[in-house]
Amino acid sequence: MKTAVLFLFALCLCAAIVEAGDFKVAFEKYQLKNGMRVILCPDRSVPVVSIYVIYGVGARSEEKGRTGFAHLFEHMMFQGSANAPKGRHFKLVESNGGTLNGSTHPDYTDYFEVLPSNNLAVGLWLEADRMCALAITEENLANQKEAVKQERRLSFDNQPYATAIVDRWPQISFTNWSNAHSLIGSFEDLNAATVEDAVNFFKIYYAPNNAVLVVSGDMNVLETKRLIETYFGDIESQAQPKHPDLSEPASPAPRWDVYRDTLAQVPAVVIGYPGPVRRSPDYYSLAMLDILLTGGESSRFQQNLVKGRQSVVQYEANLGWPFASATDYKDPGHYAMFLLHNPNFTAKQIVEQVEEELASIQKDGVSEKELNRARAYFRSLYISQLQSSLRRAMLLGKYELLDGNPDYINTEIASYLAVTPDQIQVAAKKYCNPGRRFVLEIIPAEKPEK
Amino acid sequence: MLRLGICIAVFVTAMNLFAQKIDRSKPPQTAPLNSFRLPPVFETTLENGLRVVLVEDRRFPLVTLRAGFLAGSKFDPEQLPGLSEATGALLTQGTKMRTARQIAEELATIGGSLSASSGPDTLILHGSALAEHTATLVDLLADVILNANFPESEVQIWKNRRKQELIAERSDAAFWAEEKLATAVFGRHPYSRLNPTLESIDSLNRESLVTFRDHYVAPNNAVLILLGALPAPEETFKLLREQLGGWEKKELPSPPAVSFPDPVRKLILVDRPGSVQADIRVGRLAVPRTSPDYFPLLVANTILGGGASSRMFMKIREEKGYAYDAHSVLQPRRDAGLFAAVTQVRNEVVQPAIEAVQMEMEQLGKEDVPAGELGDVKNYLSGTFVMSLETQNGLATQLSTMELMGLPADYLEKYTQRVRAVSPDQIREVSRKYVAPERASIIVVGDASKIAKPLEKFGKFSVEKAE
Repeated sequence: MKTAVLFLFALCLCAAIVEAGDFKVAFEKYQLKNGMRVILCPDRSVPVVSIYVIYGVGARSEEKGRTGFAHLFEHMMFQGSANAPKGRHFKLVESNGGTLNGSTHPDYTDYFEVLPSNNLAVGLWLEADRMCALAITEENLANQKEAVKQERRLSFDNQPYATAIVDRWPQISFTNWSNAHSLIGSFEDLNAATVEDAVNFFKIYYAPNNAVLVVSGDMNVLETKRLIETYFGDIESQAQPKHPDLSEPASPAPRWDVYRDTLAQVPAVVIGYPGPVRRSPDYYSLAMLDILLTGGESSRFQQNLVKGRQSVVQYEANLGWPFASATDYKDPGHYAMFLLHNPNFTAKQIVEQVEEELASIQKDGVSEKELNRARAYFRSLYISQLQSSLRRAMLLGKYELLDGNPDYINTEIASYLAVTPDQIQVAAKKYCNPGRRFVLEIIPAEKPEK
Repeated sequence: MLRLGICIAVFVTAMNLFAQKIDRSKPPQTAPLNSFRLPPVFETTLENGLRVVLVEDRRFPLVTLRAGFLAGSKFDPEQLPGLSEATGALLTQGTKMRTARQIAEELATIGGSLSASSGPDTLILHGSALAEHTATLVDLLADVILNANFPESEVQIWKNRRKQELIAERSDAAFWAEEKLATAVFGRHPYSRLNPTLESIDSLNRESLVTFRDHYVAPNNAVLILLGALPAPEETFKLLREQLGGWEKKELPSPPAVSFPDPVRKLILVDRPGSVQADIRVGRLAVPRTSPDYFPLLVANTILGGGASSRMFMKIREEKGYAYDAHSVLQPRRDAGLFAAVTQVRNEVVQPAIEAVQMEMEQLGKEDVPAGELGDVKNYLSGTFVMSLETQNGLATQLSTMELMGLPADYLEKYTQRVRAVSPDQIREVSRKYVAPERASIIVVGDASKIAKPLEKFGKFSVEKAE
């Protein structure tokens, strides 16, 4: 749950709940011969259609010496393809009344176009053309290395807290290099990337059998299927990519580190606890615990820390923070939080106060009444996000890629709703204790170092 | 009661009409988009002057509301910037009937939210809830509007917290760029004040909040928009009359004088030691939302810096590689507007980047926009407009803009037609009037020790501190 969007990379809403019978998101799933999975989710009320392509590759697929490659590659996907030369992708989408973007995550990379529904074919044609024949050239690669460096300067190096969170926090909270390295990468590694690296990366990871295509919104289903077969049907499949070992030690030693931030003026602290396996019972319990602690005005952090003690100024927290939300959290990850705090309190005091809040649930549990509030809060957020065709497409695509079951969009809420006060108490005890805790203090530094 | 069935004709034209068969080498042929109908809109005005707009949209079991007041930051007393924001924030922090905690818990119970946002012209309460709890949401809204009592303890908590937030915001380069640009463009008009100060937050007290509320939170100064899976309109109107019918009409204070400085170039460098980038704004005074120049200027602004096909994006990012972000903004308000070109570049290229930005700004006033480019931009504006109607929030925002900015009732219906009607001549004319760089101010936030020298080329910058 977030109380403020502090960072450019702050990601999606946490998931929430629809009670069975509220309504159903109707969709259809099938597979092309080349292995590409397709999900169609029609809704004809507004003449808007969203196209979403999610690939099973992310920063955790990177190798040593090539950090930032997944993200660099996301940029390359907008640099032109065989029939849509450089600049054409943006131009075609926007000149047809649409918007587009892409984003890189630890476990996946995704792309979307939202278009007036008469122009669905244009979007499909563009996505197919770059999946089929991306233009990977020296010039494009050099240009995008520069763009990524600019992005790094803008979004990280020139922003308070960002470097601590993006570069430092993963190093403290993970042991396995695949999880611990920087998502945006180092300038050295970016410089070292070659065209050959890019070609290989594309071939392995951007194959149709490593992708899910979702079309959501206003469409004629038969016509859409015909278009998809025409544009994507003959793209060749590749050997299924290997996935790196992402395992973390079962009981990592707790760590506490300090980062001096020359751009920050208010102190902050990051706290994290290694989280459960995706879709295990504990995963749902921790997601509900998070809402009790940090979801909305009535949450415990808001009432007790922000207002009661006036120690915390703003916070963000969720399962998977800062790189994932509860819906796209994929193990291993943390239940983690960022707390911007009043300088009259030390980081140590803030950590103690957070753990007092946790201890109160560990000791006394939660009432059914309080949990019901959290359920209603969650359900409302969840339904809200489903209003947008793009959000429906994103959820369906992630459920398919990460779980192989897009119907979670309709059924998973039951798992959140079913969490009991006892389960929350047990999960709080099991996961949130100082013996398995990582802390990063971010202290405003007096003078710039340079 | 007025009932409207708004029909939106989008006119997103098809492209490449001559392609005959599906062929990977060419973008596909597409048909024009049909017009479509928005859900029905019901409007009425209660006896106390409160305008009410209802929209029935049953796709999701949710309701969304906006209670908008002409009570934005421009109504703040000169020595109390932030009063409108504080009043909005504290409306929901305690009433004669409920404590802040009770309000928060009751909202969570109905899957709801109720919070305020304060802009230059307006103070807006944003609310939502699961549809079955519409009556409770309206009850809470009426309670905060009629009975907010601004408890001292809550006022103090808000003040302490807001000061820390402000200190944190001030560490961001964009904060200073926006502040200084607003001052350069709007002069002494209250639009120049974007944020409270530490001193003004200290000076706020219960009395100033109550006074502001008593003056401006009035039914005859408000519009209430309610949309979603609502009960039948008669029933909803009845509910609103019961809850808000007794809210008394007030005599409204006169708004601040509308007076703006002539656009004159000001050059300001905000020193931010350690910055690895220079944050650049080139901006000037533009038109209010209701001006006949608005749509031509909207199209001009989109050509210059809207989206990833815009001239600034193509030149500054794609061709020159100076920056990750290069765009322009048009912020129309009720009394005037602000236009600005925005980019953040690495320190070494600050001078050529500003030159490139100014060249693009100047070009718009000099040469006709080619027909193809103009058609593309009109498609883009029309398409993104339709997208904004997908969600209850998006539709509520469009409706509240229409109601609060003084736009005509056919605004939604005619939006895309008005975009379509803009001619190349009009674009040249408004660009000369509002975009041309020689009368625009330049604000740069960055490390003066690295960028002061290259900036000399543009004239004498006054160097200010980021504090």
